[in-house]
Amino acid sequence: MQRVAFCFDLDGTVIRGEILPHLARSIDLADEMQLLTTLTMQGVIPFEHSFRLRVKLLSEIPISTAQEIVSKLPLESNIIRFIQSHKNDSYLVTGNLDVWIKPLIERIGCECFSSEANYSGDRLLGIKSVMQKEHAVKSLRERYERIVAIGDGMNDAMMLQGADVAIAYGGFRSPVENLVRLAHYVVYNGSGLCHVLDTQ
Amino acid sequence: MSRVRYAIVSCAGLGSRLGLNSAKCLVHVEGKRIIDYLLPLVADIEDLRVVVGFQEAEVMEHVSKIRPDAVFVRNPSYASTSNSYSVNLATHDLHEPFMIIDGDMIIEPASFRRFLLAAECGESMVGVARSKTDEAVFVKLDESGYVQQFHRSPRAPFEWCGVAYLAGIRIERSSKFVFDDLSRYLPLKSHELECVEIDTPDDLKMAQREVHKYNFSYA
Repeated sequence: MQRVAFCFDLDGTVIRGEILPHLARSIDLADEMQLLTTLTMQGVIPFEHSFRLRVKLLSEIPISTAQEIVSKLPLESNIIRFIQSHKNDSYLVTGNLDVWIKPLIERIGCECFSSEANYSGDRLLGIKSVMQKEHAVKSLRERYERIVAIGDGMNDAMMLQGADVAIAYGGFRSPVENLVRLAHYVVYNGSGLCHVLDTQ
Repeated sequence: MSRVRYAIVSCAGLGSRLGLNSAKCLVHVEGKRIIDYLLPLVADIEDLRVVVGFQEAEVMEHVSKIRPDAVFVRNPSYASTSNSYSVNLATHDLHEPFMIIDGDMIIEPASFRRFLLAAECGESMVGVARSKTDEAVFVKLDESGYVQQFHRSPRAPFEWCGVAYLAGIRIERSSKFVFDDLSRYLPLKSHELECVEIDTPDDLKMAQREVHKYNFSYA
């Protein structure tokens, strides 16, 4: 039996929404952040540049406040059930900052690859490293014969390309067209996604 | 929920013989798209996989509105591959029996329901229909209703109709036609379906006539 790893994008996949626009709401920049996020998902702005800019805009938010906001975001229940029944082989792969998502990740209960923050106490100082999703897949290759990747935006493209089974997910918004072209499967809700995952 | 767990609907092809520049499953027949006649029939089947290729975005948008949990299996090589290739893409990771259905068919609901019930016994089963044209793939049946052979000629009373329930049968990527693969497993139980397959403009006209005879009220 092959060992199979499941790599899930976080925003718009496990979370039924986007973290950064929700954080931006607390400092009255929701629309601006949503625009930047949408352009990034579509691949109009490279993820790393966009992420550094967006984090800069959000850096005034205390880390504890950001964690509280992130922890209240709705999760896709079918995917959470799947992850929790395959905890040892499920991985969240996200560009988001480790300090913002820490309590959420602990609650979900699986390993997470994320960007890393420089911080001091409750204050965000900047970005230490930006997650390159293909690196997560490469590191899992050492432990797994087969990798299944699930995502919805262009920042998931390299992760899907490096996987053996690529799934474009449209549960929160339609997956971007160029990502669909890289996918073996396309699904539009968590139940459909779990049908595919259950047969891997 | 049906005891048949997986249904594969093949909707990837170009439909070039119909010549409508539309994925065949989206072609209108008497006010409804072909796939709209099929989806209610498989509503109780837990895991629906639709193979998409030609006009995949349009097919996915339409089907996902009706069946949000459908799994779309992409066949980007649809223009140069056969239906067997599509079926293999959708079934190679399944380890349980599954049903295959061509996405260019309209099936009379009561006959499909009987097929599903018969499939629940777990034995592989080939859907056959009363022959309608000379261009079909015909089936030679024995006295017990088992398919002994698939053949192009001579014409026979029943034809292979593109629906099957397959237990322990693999459809290979390299096969030209699905019935080529099925031929390796003969004899196979048959079950009659009332249906029309829409490959040509003449088939479409026939479907427009036949569909009025079908009772869709409880599908």
